[in-house]
Amino acid sequence: MPASNFPVSRKASFDDSLMPPCQIACPLHMEIGEYVDLIAQGRVMEALQVIRSGNPFPAICAYVCTHPCEDTCRRGQVDHPIAIRALKRFAIEFGGDRMIQEEARTTYSEKVAVVGSGPAGLAAAYYLRKLGYPVTIFEAHSALGGMLRVGIPQYRLPREVLDIEVQRLTQMGVEIRTNTRVVSLDLLFELGYKAVFITVGAHQGLRLGIEGEESPGVVDGATFLREVNLGFQPSVGTSVAAVGGGNVAIDAARTALRLGAKEVKILYRRTRAEMPADPAEIEQALEEGVEICFLVAPIKITRENKRLRVTCIRFELGETDASGRPRPVPIQGSEFDMEFDTLITAIGQAPRIPEDFHLRIGKGSTIQVDPVTLLTNRPGVFAGGDAVTGPATVTQALAAGRQAAQRIDEYLRHKYPLPQKEKPPIAKDLLPKTIEVIRKAHRLEPERLAPQERVQGFRPIELIYDWQSAVDEARRCLRCGMGAEILFQDRCATCLNCLRVCPYHVPYLDENGTIQIPADQCQACGICVAECPAQAIVLRKPRDRRYIDEELHHVFSTAKQSGFRPLIVSFACQYGLFGTGTLSGLWKEAQASISIVPVLCVATVEPEHILRAFEMGAEGVFVAGCGEQCAREDTHFWVRQRVEKVRRALGQMGLEPERIQAFNVRVKEEDPVQRLHQFTEQIGQLYLAAVLAQEVKM
Amino acid sequence: MIVAEQKPLEEIQRMIAPYEKVLILGCGTCMTVCGAGGEREVSFLHSALRLAQARTGSNTHQFSEYTVKRQCDPEFMALIADRAREVDAILSLGCGIGVQVAAEHFPDTPVLPGVNTSFMGTITELGVWDERCAACGDCRLAETAGICPITRCTKGILNGPCAGTKNGKCEANKDIDCAWILIYERLERLGQLEKMRRYYPPRNFRTIPRPRRLVNLVKADMEEGNG
Amino acid sequence: MAKSLFEEKLNSGKFIVTAEVGPQKGVDCSEMIHHIKLLKDKVDALNVTDHQSSVMRFPSLGGCLLVKELGGEPILQVTCRDRNRLALEADLLLAYSRGICNVLCLTGDSVDVGDHKEAKPVFDLDSVQLLRMIRTLESGKDMGGNDLKGAPQFCIGASVHPAADRIEPQLVKFEKKVAAGAQFFQTQGIYELDSLRRFMQYASQFDVKILAGIIVMASARMAQYMNENVPGVIVPQSVIDELASAEKGKGLQKGIEIAVRTIKAIKEQNLCHGVHIMAVGRESVVPEIIEAAGL
Repeated sequence: MPASNFPVSRKASFDDSLMPPCQIACPLHMEIGEYVDLIAQGRVMEALQVIRSGNPFPAICAYVCTHPCEDTCRRGQVDHPIAIRALKRFAIEFGGDRMIQEEARTTYSEKVAVVGSGPAGLAAAYYLRKLGYPVTIFEAHSALGGMLRVGIPQYRLPREVLDIEVQRLTQMGVEIRTNTRVVSLDLLFELGYKAVFITVGAHQGLRLGIEGEESPGVVDGATFLREVNLGFQPSVGTSVAAVGGGNVAIDAARTALRLGAKEVKILYRRTRAEMPADPAEIEQALEEGVEICFLVAPIKITRENKRLRVTCIRFELGETDASGRPRPVPIQGSEFDMEFDTLITAIGQAPRIPEDFHLRIGKGSTIQVDPVTLLTNRPGVFAGGDAVTGPATVTQALAAGRQAAQRIDEYLRHKYPLPQKEKPPIAKDLLPKTIEVIRKAHRLEPERLAPQERVQGFRPIELIYDWQSAVDEARRCLRCGMGAEILFQDRCATCLNCLRVCPYHVPYLDENGTIQIPADQCQACGICVAECPAQAIVLRKPRDRRYIDEELHHVFSTAKQSGFRPLIVSFACQYGLFGTGTLSGLWKEAQASISIVPVLCVATVEPEHILRAFEMGAEGVFVAGCGEQCAREDTHFWVRQRVEKVRRALGQMGLEPERIQAFNVRVKEEDPVQRLHQFTEQIGQLYLAAVLAQEVKM
Repeated sequence: MIVAEQKPLEEIQRMIAPYEKVLILGCGTCMTVCGAGGEREVSFLHSALRLAQARTGSNTHQFSEYTVKRQCDPEFMALIADRAREVDAILSLGCGIGVQVAAEHFPDTPVLPGVNTSFMGTITELGVWDERCAACGDCRLAETAGICPITRCTKGILNGPCAGTKNGKCEANKDIDCAWILIYERLERLGQLEKMRRYYPPRNFRTIPRPRRLVNLVKADMEEGNG
Repeated sequence: MAKSLFEEKLNSGKFIVTAEVGPQKGVDCSEMIHHIKLLKDKVDALNVTDHQSSVMRFPSLGGCLLVKELGGEPILQVTCRDRNRLALEADLLLAYSRGICNVLCLTGDSVDVGDHKEAKPVFDLDSVQLLRMIRTLESGKDMGGNDLKGAPQFCIGASVHPAADRIEPQLVKFEKKVAAGAQFFQTQGIYELDSLRRFMQYASQFDVKILAGIIVMASARMAQYMNENVPGVIVPQSVIDELASAEKGKGLQKGIEIAVRTIKAIKEQNLCHGVHIMAVGRESVVPEIIEAAGL
């Protein structure tokens, strides 16, 4: 077998893709592009592996992540962002996450104490255990989870999901001490712990600071949600107000609805545009019947006849304040009264750190730490999560936990804490001319429960994608960061082919006359790679992906091992019927002699690849795209060019040009199964004829 | 740029038939740009020749491939001296110049042309090249509004269109613009029609006694003030 | 003193009639001789074509010698397609020495339209340069500036295309030909009189004789074919339609009718100085046309 001529001078495992905006936005820097792409190929279990490698508790994130990735997703500049969180949930459910067992071995003797079992604590425990440390989690409540358990309503995060993830920590050998409130850090060190991670969260509700706030019937959001989540059924009456504009206010309002309140209002002193709560959550609350009173805040509460008379004042928006939002200015004389049975204050939360910890406390009652090492003022004591940042997201807390585990490891192993090396990021904005050419496709959302069904109880609202919807949604991904690059500048003859063939008009000549392919605009179609006459361009390669040449060799060597000869080689779009194997069941009798080489896009298949397949022994080759599903209009055009080129060459060496075919599957008039049958039959006859001719000669 | 196209496979096979070890030599400049003999075409031809050999069951040839930046400079040939020594023939995918420079550089190695050198021209649309210069050595583009009648008029005439032009196209090829109509229109646009009204005498073909040579260097013995 | 009989007639003010014969491919000249005999006394001069449409034939010079031998007045058609300046000069010296004193100077059709498509097109000179070259020979020098032992004298003409779809560049060239010494012009085919009338309005300022080219069509198909394949031929759709309206087998008759009508009109309206009838292989009908047109 001839050695590959492909000019690969890099190791196959080398990852030179760039960091896409979604990955940058994710506090955990998960490889979103990678797992979305795997889902698009129907490789859901592999997608789950990628997800799990970047997130200790992906099932939790699949429910509660605020998905900042989607906010920066560049598909949003074209039409709508990719539904990344929903896709992750799909991978969790269809990839068999529940079956996964975590294992860990103790390699170090230094014990680590984790104080608090919120997402930061759980993540720190998980990674420390993975690193080989004995870990103990101390939790004041009766069950692990922190805010995940006592803050987030069950309709947003089913408790069995949390339980499964927590169970894995036990499997890994993490020691768990619930109902144990740590009062002294000195004691922990006396007990032999060599490092302590403080992650006690921010559970203390901030006070409104108005008259009557101590009245019965007034409760802070954190306390209210904790009571509900711990199984108490507090009576809220029929009319409830939640004060604030964050997720806690929304959670409290929607929980109140589920507890039987008939009329639930949110009082917020700015407008919807300024609400920090997740827009989707706001939308869902409105659907369920929550009313939001904007530019309104209470200034006095009086209790009359077991009800609350709440005096409110109206606001107007003034100049921008330090937070970048317009400052609400009370309108004099606009006071008015409203009556409620219950008023829930949810204007923010702060940590409450026992004084005996002797930790330096900073702004907003948070623990002060070194931003790189997460060390507090006490040696061996690290802190992270809401206790350090104030109320933040679950994913941020998980990231803090992971960082803490690494820093604690460095501390215990006496390593110098180095910042992590990251892939270079790509620019955020797509150019209008690029956007114009990208085929538009609407975002597919998983189905949700109807609002009237939701408020009946605490069932999760969002359902899971069906397989095809998930694949279709994932295919919308623009594959940011995987674009083409001129790898061999010295070979580049500046012929401008790349500039001419690019459907997105991405390559350009800079002022020095050098061709540039800006990675931030490239859509990774690969046409220029196959059209470069100097073979100077390659696609950036994310880990584990093979170049077509390598894939071709792989196919032949595995076929050889299993003792069959591939008579037909197909270069098939990895998303199409052939590439994903979706069609496999339909051509059983032909299967034995067909080998599929999945490719990123059939437009990347070069004439040399096809010739090489013949050289390696194939009797026939077909190129199968994904038809109308393709992100581009002109893919088939390029396939035809290359197929014709090889056909001419075959013809010149006396081989039948029909040995190579281009299938445009999913085009309505073409039945892929029938075409395949015809083709296999044809190739079979040609092969037979050749064998007979050979025998006659002998 | 010099434009060429690869010879048919059969012709190449016939040429290399007597030789066992053949180096397929690409050119990284014009031949790359016009798609006749760059890295890609070298590797495609290499694959095709190997496949053709495999299908006939013979094992006559051993192929190797290499692409130099430019075949028309002897210095680049020096870089492949070792490779050239190991083969029985070089199949050059350079233009006619490249083939000859290789032949001059490797006196003991047969050098075979793998492409037909066609003309000097430009790409006018993707995959379409058009001739623009005949290298006549007597450029008169200043008089013809930057459009060459020598190259682009099928008859190369100098004093205006023949009567065969129809719909602005050439009588010899209805897909090709009549150069003289183009010249007229552009001169009119530039306000220089008097240039076309001038009489142009017959061309001086003495400017191209073949082979031509261009010397742009003052030789030492021609320098002044040597004493 | 006139350089030729034809020049004398040109200057006489009479309505000039010329026609042409196309030599055969081969050495059997009998048909051409027949045509020459048929026409020589009915026209003022007889052109012999020079590998018309780049199809190789018996040479123009040979045909002109026959015309001369048979007592006619030949016009030697000379194109620049096949001979470089040495060959052109030499042929002209030979022509003059044998009494062939009228020359029609043409660029020549492209090799691509003929039957030797792989031949090397020469075009060492163009038609304007050819005209000037003849004037140079007449001055007793060749193009290399060398003295001639005895200089020839020619009545020289060229062609012009009044019906060209882009007329302005053609007029630029026409003026260059006039400046180069062309005395008469035989035009490309004329089918409608408007373009000729406009052209003559312009051309009357020059002291040259214009002979309107009349191509005799045998059928609508032929007209269409020539439109598409013969350089310089532009037959208007109205003429094609008229030819098509002819009864089966009467196409040529219709073609003759059109030619006669056109010639009559030109003569009656005194549009130009004469006509040049091109029968393209049907030379035998020319006397009929001349007679019918009352020439």
